[in-house]
Amino acid sequence: MGPWSAVLLYTQHGEQCLAHTSVGLLLPCTFHHVLRRHLGPLLVLGPGAAWKLLSGVREGQTQVDTPQVGDMAYWSHPIDLHFATKGLQGWPRLHLQVWSQDSFGRCQLAGYGFCHVPSSPGTHQLDCPTWRPLGSWREQLARAFVGGGPQLLHGDAIYSGADRYRLHTAAGGTVHLELGLLLRHFDRYGVEC
Amino acid sequence: MNPQEEKVKIITEEFIENDEDADVGRQKTSRVQRRKRKKQLPTAGPDEMVSEKSHLGDQQEPGHEDPNADARPLSMPTRRGPRSLPPIPSASRTGFAEFSMRERMREKLQAARSKAESALLQEIPTPRPRRLRSPSEKELETEFGTEPGGKIQTTQQEDDSQSYSRVKFRDSVRKIKSKTPVPPGFPSAEEAYNFFTFNFDPEPEESEEKPKAKNRDGANQEEGEGEEEEAPVPEGIDKTDEEVLLDDKDAVDFLLGLDRGAEDIVAVRPADYESVHIRLQKEKELLFIPSRRTVPTYKKLPENVQPRFLEDEGLYIGARLEVPRTNQNIMENRLLMQEPGRRWFGDDGRILALPNPIKPFPSRPLVLTQEQDIKAELETLYKKLQALRNAVQVSLNPAKTPKSLDTTRRAINEYKSEIRQTRKLRDIEQEKDRTLLKTIIKVWKEMKSLREFQRFTNTPLKLVLRKEKVDQKADEEAYEAEIQAEISELLEEHREEYEQRMDEYRSAHQQWKAWKKAQRTKKKKKKQGVEEHPDDEMEEPYPEEDPVKPVPPEPTNQAVIEQEVRERAAQSRRRPGEPMLVPELSLAGSVTPNDQCPRVEVLRREDVKRRSVYLKVLFNDKEVSRTNSRPLGADFRVHFGQIFNLQIVNWPESLTLQVYETVGHSGTTLLAEVFLPIPETTVVTGRAPLEEVEFSSNQHVTLDHEGVGSGVPFSFEADGSNQLTLMTSGKVSNSVSWAIGENGIPLIPPLSQQNIGFRSALKRADAISSIGTSGLTDMKKLAKWAAESKLDPNDPNNAPLMQLILVATSGESYVPDFFRLEQLQQEFNFVSDEELNRSKRFRLLRLRSQEVPEFRNYKQIPVYDREIMEKVFQDYEKRLRDRNVIETKDHIDTHRAIVAKYLQQVRESVINRFLIAKHHFLLADLIVEEEVPNISILGLRLFKLAEQKRPLRPRRKGRKKVTVQNLSDGDIKLLVNIIRAYDIPVRKPITSKFQQPPRSSRTFSEKQAASPTTHSPTHSADYPLSQVLVRPFVEVSFQRTICHTTTADGPNPSWNEELELPFRAPNGDYSTTSLQSVKDDVFINIFDEVLYDVLEDDRERASGIHTRIERHWLGCVKIPFSTIYFQAKIDGTFKIDTPPVLLGYSKERSVVAERGFDPVRSLSEGSYITLFITMEPQLVPGESVREKTSDMLKKFDSQEDEKLLQATEKFQAECALKFPNRQCLTTVIDISGKTVFITRYLKPLNPPQELLNAYPNNPQATAELVARYVSLIPFLPDTVSFAGICDLWSTSDQFLDLLAGDEEEHAVLLCNYFLSLGKKAWLMMGNAIPEGPTAYVLTREQSHYLIWNPCSGHFYGQFDTFCPLKSVGCLIGPDNIWFNIQRHDSPLRINFDITKPKLWKSFFSRSLPYPGLSSVQPEELIYQRTDKAAAAELQDRIEKILKEKIMDWRPRHLTRWNRYCTSTLRHFLPLLERSQGEDVEDDHRAELLKQLGDYRFSGFPLHMPYSELKPLIEAVYSTGVHNIDVPNVEFALAVYIHPYPKNVLSVWIYVASLIRNR
Repeated sequence: MGPWSAVLLYTQHGEQCLAHTSVGLLLPCTFHHVLRRHLGPLLVLGPGAAWKLLSGVREGQTQVDTPQVGDMAYWSHPIDLHFATKGLQGWPRLHLQVWSQDSFGRCQLAGYGFCHVPSSPGTHQLDCPTWRPLGSWREQLARAFVGGGPQLLHGDAIYSGADRYRLHTAAGGTVHLELGLLLRHFDRYGVEC
Repeated sequence: MNPQEEKVKIITEEFIENDEDADVGRQKTSRVQRRKRKKQLPTAGPDEMVSEKSHLGDQQEPGHEDPNADARPLSMPTRRGPRSLPPIPSASRTGFAEFSMRERMREKLQAARSKAESALLQEIPTPRPRRLRSPSEKELETEFGTEPGGKIQTTQQEDDSQSYSRVKFRDSVRKIKSKTPVPPGFPSAEEAYNFFTFNFDPEPEESEEKPKAKNRDGANQEEGEGEEEEAPVPEGIDKTDEEVLLDDKDAVDFLLGLDRGAEDIVAVRPADYESVHIRLQKEKELLFIPSRRTVPTYKKLPENVQPRFLEDEGLYIGARLEVPRTNQNIMENRLLMQEPGRRWFGDDGRILALPNPIKPFPSRPLVLTQEQDIKAELETLYKKLQALRNAVQVSLNPAKTPKSLDTTRRAINEYKSEIRQTRKLRDIEQEKDRTLLKTIIKVWKEMKSLREFQRFTNTPLKLVLRKEKVDQKADEEAYEAEIQAEISELLEEHREEYEQRMDEYRSAHQQWKAWKKAQRTKKKKKKQGVEEHPDDEMEEPYPEEDPVKPVPPEPTNQAVIEQEVRERAAQSRRRPGEPMLVPELSLAGSVTPNDQCPRVEVLRREDVKRRSVYLKVLFNDKEVSRTNSRPLGADFRVHFGQIFNLQIVNWPESLTLQVYETVGHSGTTLLAEVFLPIPETTVVTGRAPLEEVEFSSNQHVTLDHEGVGSGVPFSFEADGSNQLTLMTSGKVSNSVSWAIGENGIPLIPPLSQQNIGFRSALKRADAISSIGTSGLTDMKKLAKWAAESKLDPNDPNNAPLMQLILVATSGESYVPDFFRLEQLQQEFNFVSDEELNRSKRFRLLRLRSQEVPEFRNYKQIPVYDREIMEKVFQDYEKRLRDRNVIETKDHIDTHRAIVAKYLQQVRESVINRFLIAKHHFLLADLIVEEEVPNISILGLRLFKLAEQKRPLRPRRKGRKKVTVQNLSDGDIKLLVNIIRAYDIPVRKPITSKFQQPPRSSRTFSEKQAASPTTHSPTHSADYPLSQVLVRPFVEVSFQRTICHTTTADGPNPSWNEELELPFRAPNGDYSTTSLQSVKDDVFINIFDEVLYDVLEDDRERASGIHTRIERHWLGCVKIPFSTIYFQAKIDGTFKIDTPPVLLGYSKERSVVAERGFDPVRSLSEGSYITLFITMEPQLVPGESVREKTSDMLKKFDSQEDEKLLQATEKFQAECALKFPNRQCLTTVIDISGKTVFITRYLKPLNPPQELLNAYPNNPQATAELVARYVSLIPFLPDTVSFAGICDLWSTSDQFLDLLAGDEEEHAVLLCNYFLSLGKKAWLMMGNAIPEGPTAYVLTREQSHYLIWNPCSGHFYGQFDTFCPLKSVGCLIGPDNIWFNIQRHDSPLRINFDITKPKLWKSFFSRSLPYPGLSSVQPEELIYQRTDKAAAAELQDRIEKILKEKIMDWRPRHLTRWNRYCTSTLRHFLPLLERSQGEDVEDDHRAELLKQLGDYRFSGFPLHMPYSELKPLIEAVYSTGVHNIDVPNVEFALAVYIHPYPKNVLSVWIYVASLIRNR
């Protein structure tokens, strides 16, 4: 499936190096109903205050992939982050926004998604389902012809469910992630991974 | 709970012996046990064994409850919940449970029977008779806590008895369904069946509650009791008839369900329906409709409590919101019914409510605002007075208040004093009100008279006084009553006072009397004892003075008081019966039209029309914006209606509006300044009221028409009396507030920065006056003040203060002044922050990712902290520490140290600014795309097949460019092709003439002359031409790697060799920025290889050769690596930088000239070398950074005119279109990052006077000296200092202060000097070798043009072939830019006549005239004399350091210093400086020879500008003087520093090696 997986360092930590998390990340994405080019997910990693970014970039964007065979878009975007932490709160998670670009170069939202970074070391295959707000029928019609459409005002609705009941959503495909994690020194603080 | 459990255990232990009983139980109930366990799944208890034996469970009544409670949830899921008592599931236990259940059923049956007829359902579960231990029973009940709920449930179930069976059925099905997926091993059908049947077991408990039906059921149960213990299976048979039926059905259904699976889970049933009637009935029980009747107050208040009205006590109470009475009543009734706690009602028996938030805000003509305000205030005062009076009345009434007398008295006194004050205030307000009304009327009258006098009206203002008729009688009564009340109050006051005084008087009187008495007795005594104590007499009268007899106070005179009161009332109040006057201002009046006005008035009006007003907004004394200019209206009003949004960075200090007036088209005048207060943080957009600020100007204006003018006396009256002087004045109505951000947060500066004391001072000015500013910080004091001043705690105005005091005085209550985002974070931390920060590894990782220079390319960070050395951080920490400390150790000269520091800071700030741009990669940075071959390329390829394989004159082909990402050490090589050299100095044979006759051996030259065949056959050809041989070779050193060519012969050697030098990037970082900042130079040194015959004995000459090779430095070419990097290749002929004096060598140019060999070359002085330098692989130069940043640069603020900037862009685009390769520069970035038009840099600037004085009569010499001065300022390319980010231009004074700059700065300074010398000079932008794009200076002499290289100080004629400038892009003068549009761009072939528009395209032309741009340069340059002593000291230090270095470089040899020679050289260096290194050679040589005749001497002076020590050391090292390893060699080194003004230092280093001739 995935052409390659990058194993890169992504770390977290306690006193000394508490943990190393190595994240290799591969992001192919399946879309079954959109035949457009896919702008890669906008990746945002959002750990809490206890987490300190040692190196790497917290957020980024993949390239635009044009699926040529089938409707699977391959991004193979590496994520390389290294965290140190002094506590467990605010475990890092990935926020994804998948955008699609049509033949006119207009970008529109294809889906939001989020998933937690696994807590055990090793390579993980994650499937992150995404969704997008649907809007009224007018908006759907407009979206079909001219693009655009409703988007979340605040990103936190992606992961906090408080306000989500108001939304009408449509599924937006699944993002496959392949994360390689290295943890370090977690056992020293009684955290079993 | 536990005790009970324990008890169970104890009891069961007792029964362990009774095994027989247990046996029975085991057999019987193994199945039951299983299903029991299933049923009680979640709470399977541990003590199976225990319960098996507990047969006589009467004591275990608590245990009874369990199955009971457990069974219930089957039909009543609501009762499932955490149970405190763990159920004890076991076989015998079950039996026992059943048994007990039966017992209970029996009990209940009995109870039910007794009550069946009454059928009062609620009463069924009334306290069951217990046989044992009722207390624990009770406990249990409470513990279960489900009893009442259960009752309700059951009653409800009974209510809808019809649906009962259905419900039950459903439940059982559900139960079964949940059971179906049981773990394998259980016969599911059977088990389910058991389960099902068992399910029914507890059911009778409920069913018996159906009183009639359960009669028989209960009996059956009783009977079945015994059987059950033997055979549990037929349990289900023991049911009532109906239930058996049901059971069968259920069982069948259930079995079917098992077979069918999931389909039965979904049942299709008709919709449940309840008839409306029943529903209503049920609802009636649940619903409560509060009545609308008024609730009597006593109900709302606690018993025996009188309602208390705070308002009557004079406390502030906000107006309540208007709520209809019925609504209130409903509410009150409901509250009384629902929540009898009465917490809803206040002391006055009304529902607690917040005051009405709506504030009456008048909206009416402006004139009356003040008056209205007063009115409102007056009203509140009245109210308060009234309330206070009432309160006094109330509290004085003894019948009502049986409170402690003391408190009432005090309260009364307080009230009274308050009444007094309030009255006073009211009087004042009243008076104000009246006077205001009077003035309004007066002004209106004046206006009216004026209008009449003028016979026209200007403004539509109109005042109407509305009279409100008053009922004369009522009014009079009220008036009288008021007066009476006041009088009585006053009287009382006076009476009190009187009484008090009376008291005083009495006591005084008593005293007096006592004294009198005493006096009298004394007198008597005195009379008696005069004889005995004559002396006492004298003293006695003095100590006690005669107390004056107290005068009794006068009683108050009522009449007088009345008189006073009435007088006052007459003064300040409306007389009774007088109509109330309400002034109303309208704009309804008519303005006299223009044609009816007199001429002067028309003139005035026209003048007014011409005038317009605008406002400037100044923030912190800087203009931030201004309004539109608006014409002055006929009514002198200007409406702007503009909102200015200021985004502020600085702390707001002042906000000013400047009012400007414009008359017609002439200039503007500042009328006045209006200072606005900075709004408080609570004032945000939408909440800020419009405020009026008055202003007036002291300007004198006299007008020639009817207009009043300003500052001119005039009169309204016809006779000119009553003169008035009016100034221009007005009001600005404005509102200032803080904006609200997107998410509703006010954009207020953070509070921490504010001076809190100051702010609160604004808020509570009155508090300050009473307790002083310091009190505001002392909460206790503040609280005291608040208590003393009787601050009304209910007044919303005081709320924040009261809150503050409450918090502050309560002491312990700790109110954190922060908000914690992630609470409990600290508690769950593994480690503290400090510990985390201490980790060296993390620090290293972070620093690396932040690209801190020291760690930018740090590779392989160790895994463990202990493996990281502390010294890794040392450099970094030192740099951080020293950021502000200027250390002079590295820099010998303090000034340079400061400059270096400054440059470092500028660099850091610039780099930070471009950090984002640097990380923004273009496609070309990441992807190398090979060109797809197309037909034309294919054709060329085919063509190439026919090419010669090894052409005679090979050409260089373009190579592939390589991006720098995957490079590492050793991948990059520097290729230097040394091709040939011209005019190398040759050894001088003449030296021998001056030499002393050799004692033991001849000099080498003589020897060579004698035996020329030893070395080269060509010598013989040269020698007859009196030319001594030179055997030059080239040595290239780069990053301390040295390569050299073979030795060639003659002054015009041809090597044609390629040298390969490895390149190492600093820290192994091969990124573009890193490569750009490589400061290393490539030194290309030309040496002469000299062979010395060291054979001592001539006889051995035949058998062996013993020579020593010495090399003499002849000159060098220095090329910075950055140039190579940016140019990709360097190809050309360069002038060799030869020392001015080269002992033993001379240039034999005469020979060449005589031959007429090459007339062009002979013009030039010096030697030349042809080189080709490139890098392998070819790197993509980092120029893209500049392109990338061009967008950024546009964002840089510029103070240039927008039009000019547009014009520059257009000009550049046009030029680039025509000649894309020619440099065209119009705007540059100055050191603060602003875009500046380039001509602003050019301006005549005075060179140092010292230089002008040197050659007063020779302008050319002066020019050369100036050029030399400029060239002595060290060269520092911008690409190095700013790492390829951009080219910053500093002004000349900055340049002189920094003492470092690149070609542009040098050129600008030189050009400015030339301009001030009166020359015609231009800045010339073009390409030169080796610099690449650079700046030169062009001057026009009488007949020709000269091209000056500002960095070297050399000048070239226009037709000099060896001029390094190869192409000219544009010329820049102080007032224009000319772009070269000629066909050629080589200076040899172009015409420099800029007046010809066909050859030079000028920027400013007729269509865009030169706007007269001011210069960015200073008025004049100020030069400080350089401290000579400091220079001398520096000179000594450099000398010492260099000597040490030379010794270091010769670790295997002894280095001797020849002091005599050194001192000779030291004397000679100043001469060199004076002559600028020319024409001193011969004298010098002669002198040297005279003094050091018996030494073979080779040496040369080096000349450099001084920047820092390292280049000097490098230069000395590159000459290779230290490489001589003749055993008896001696060295001489002399340093001379010539100070020029402004700390420009010219450094001369004379290095020589001496070998004693034996």
